[in-house]
Amino acid sequence: MKKAIIFFASALLLTGCIKEDSFSNSPEGNFEALWSMIDERYCFFPQAEEEFGLNWNAVHDKYKPKAEACENDAQLFDVLGDMLNELRDGHVNLSSIYGTTQYRDWHQDYPMNFSDSIQRNYLGNGYRVTNGIKYTSLPDSIGYAYIGSFAGGFNSDNLTMMLMNLKENKGLILDIRSNSGGMLTSAEKLAGSFTDKSVHCGYMQHKTGKGHNDFSSPEAIYLEPNKGAIWLRPTVVLTNRGVYSSANYFVMLMQELPHVITLGDVTGGGSGLPFNSTLPNGWNVRFSACPILDAKGNHTEFGIEPDYRIDITSEDWNNGRDTMIEKAKELIFAYYDKISEQE
Amino acid sequence: MRLTGKIMAVIAMIAMPLTADAQIAVTDSIMPERIVVKSSQYGITSLNNLDTYLSGYDFKGMGLYYSHENFRDARTGSYRWKYQTVFSGSLGYAELGNNTQIAGLATYQWSGYHPFTVNSRLKLLAGVQIQLEGGALYIPNNGNNPVSLKLRTALAATGMAIYHFPVKGKDWVARYQIDIPLAGVMFAPEFGQSYYEIFNEKKSDGTVAFSNPFNCPSWKHTLSLDIPIRYKRHSTTLRLSYVADFYQSEINDIRCHIYRHAFTFGFVKTILKVKEENKIKAYSPY
Repeated sequence: MKKAIIFFASALLLTGCIKEDSFSNSPEGNFEALWSMIDERYCFFPQAEEEFGLNWNAVHDKYKPKAEACENDAQLFDVLGDMLNELRDGHVNLSSIYGTTQYRDWHQDYPMNFSDSIQRNYLGNGYRVTNGIKYTSLPDSIGYAYIGSFAGGFNSDNLTMMLMNLKENKGLILDIRSNSGGMLTSAEKLAGSFTDKSVHCGYMQHKTGKGHNDFSSPEAIYLEPNKGAIWLRPTVVLTNRGVYSSANYFVMLMQELPHVITLGDVTGGGSGLPFNSTLPNGWNVRFSACPILDAKGNHTEFGIEPDYRIDITSEDWNNGRDTMIEKAKELIFAYYDKISEQE
Repeated sequence: MRLTGKIMAVIAMIAMPLTADAQIAVTDSIMPERIVVKSSQYGITSLNNLDTYLSGYDFKGMGLYYSHENFRDARTGSYRWKYQTVFSGSLGYAELGNNTQIAGLATYQWSGYHPFTVNSRLKLLAGVQIQLEGGALYIPNNGNNPVSLKLRTALAATGMAIYHFPVKGKDWVARYQIDIPLAGVMFAPEFGQSYYEIFNEKKSDGTVAFSNPFNCPSWKHTLSLDIPIRYKRHSTTLRLSYVADFYQSEINDIRCHIYRHAFTFGFVKTILKVKEENKIKAYSPY
């Protein structure tokens, strides 16, 4: 009986051996926790090493003394934020009561190529809004729709009604400039209104282990058509460097459709699906975790080159004229001219 | 009425509906076909949750705990098996820094036991158990990986010790139960695989893993004490329980543990089931 009681007591006291990460809640511990988390889970080390020579081990050696020298959490937050910015990835952030760190050079060192003041000259006051999309018919029977964000969801019926309201137009300009993203599902939903069949548009991978090159084999992504109205007339997607994340994904989907042209500046990129995790002190970390590749298997992390590379000229900017919208109209007219010539 | 009297009255009022089915006294000459012991338990649980798919650190908090147990003899006779079903669930809230986590788990266990009587007071039971579990850990702050689903089924070894001891002429019962999963299958995404890829893009191949005591070293301990209570003409049995549930897994480099320590209370209802023809004889005036 005594032995049985000892056995049961031991069983109750014993717990298993699967424990949390062993880093302490100290400046050094939080630094090591963040560095290790990124080292094991960040998905763009091969591209960063190739693109700008990132050496993550050297980053550790550079920032460790700085972290150890921090006298308070505010200083530590800045040091850790600077370390994350070495990745040059807008999807990598550290969040706490001190704010959210963010790498912004992916768009700040490039021309804006978008002005809402100039946009007003085209939208006027008679535009409609549905699911956050502002749209109108421009003179010369060209439809124009501005999608400023993919943060909200799109409704099939609303998209159908928008396309029905634009049906008298010869072509459509989809302006997603300075759209910094939102939900991948929203990008897919909108793009699904521009195809009547399933189209192979890219691939998705994920990390299978902690090594920098531990990835699954790419799984194909297909764009499926929406229920409701489908737009198959000439469509021009306007881009600038502010097109990021799921907006970048939208361009990746749309560029595979035969009646779609992309026009403007190289997109901002941000093709990694971000994950979140936490440090021992509870600060939240976001990082790119799952790479998305285009239909040719190329990474789009650093942006997508448009079919027509064009900037807003200084002259047009000063005159309130949008060079990109004008060029898009030209391309739609040229499409119909070409058809007329063939007939 | 003194305070203890009031407490006893409240307990008796709660217990009365639970004991309403125990209509046939144990001393009845009609042998019951089988005895079923039912108990619903309510309580609170501490939470210590780790899932490196969501975070590398423990989220700690509290939650509500519920369990319902049916324990019955298979048949009367010299050779007996005993069957137990337990449904248990917890819903709680845990924190790490400014991050919050909501954790919900529901478990169903079916067990078959063979009893071994050591002496008149102590009985040992050993058997097998089938476990079904579903639930999720949810961190609203995590954008694209806010949820870690917990879906698993397992075959487990289970053992029980039941000890009767008298206190002031009443039969108190202490019971200890241990459940150890031995083999099973569970939902397990790969190291960095998103639920977007699994569910939106429908790329779910490889998300089912086999579990064993090495990659899923888990066990559950339940310690309970049944205390007979009598107030005026009403009698019932109060059950106080402590449940220590240690679920752990390490699959695809994703480490997880869900440690729960629950303290519960409830009442035990004993039903003596009698064959239909015997019921008629028992209650017929002829």
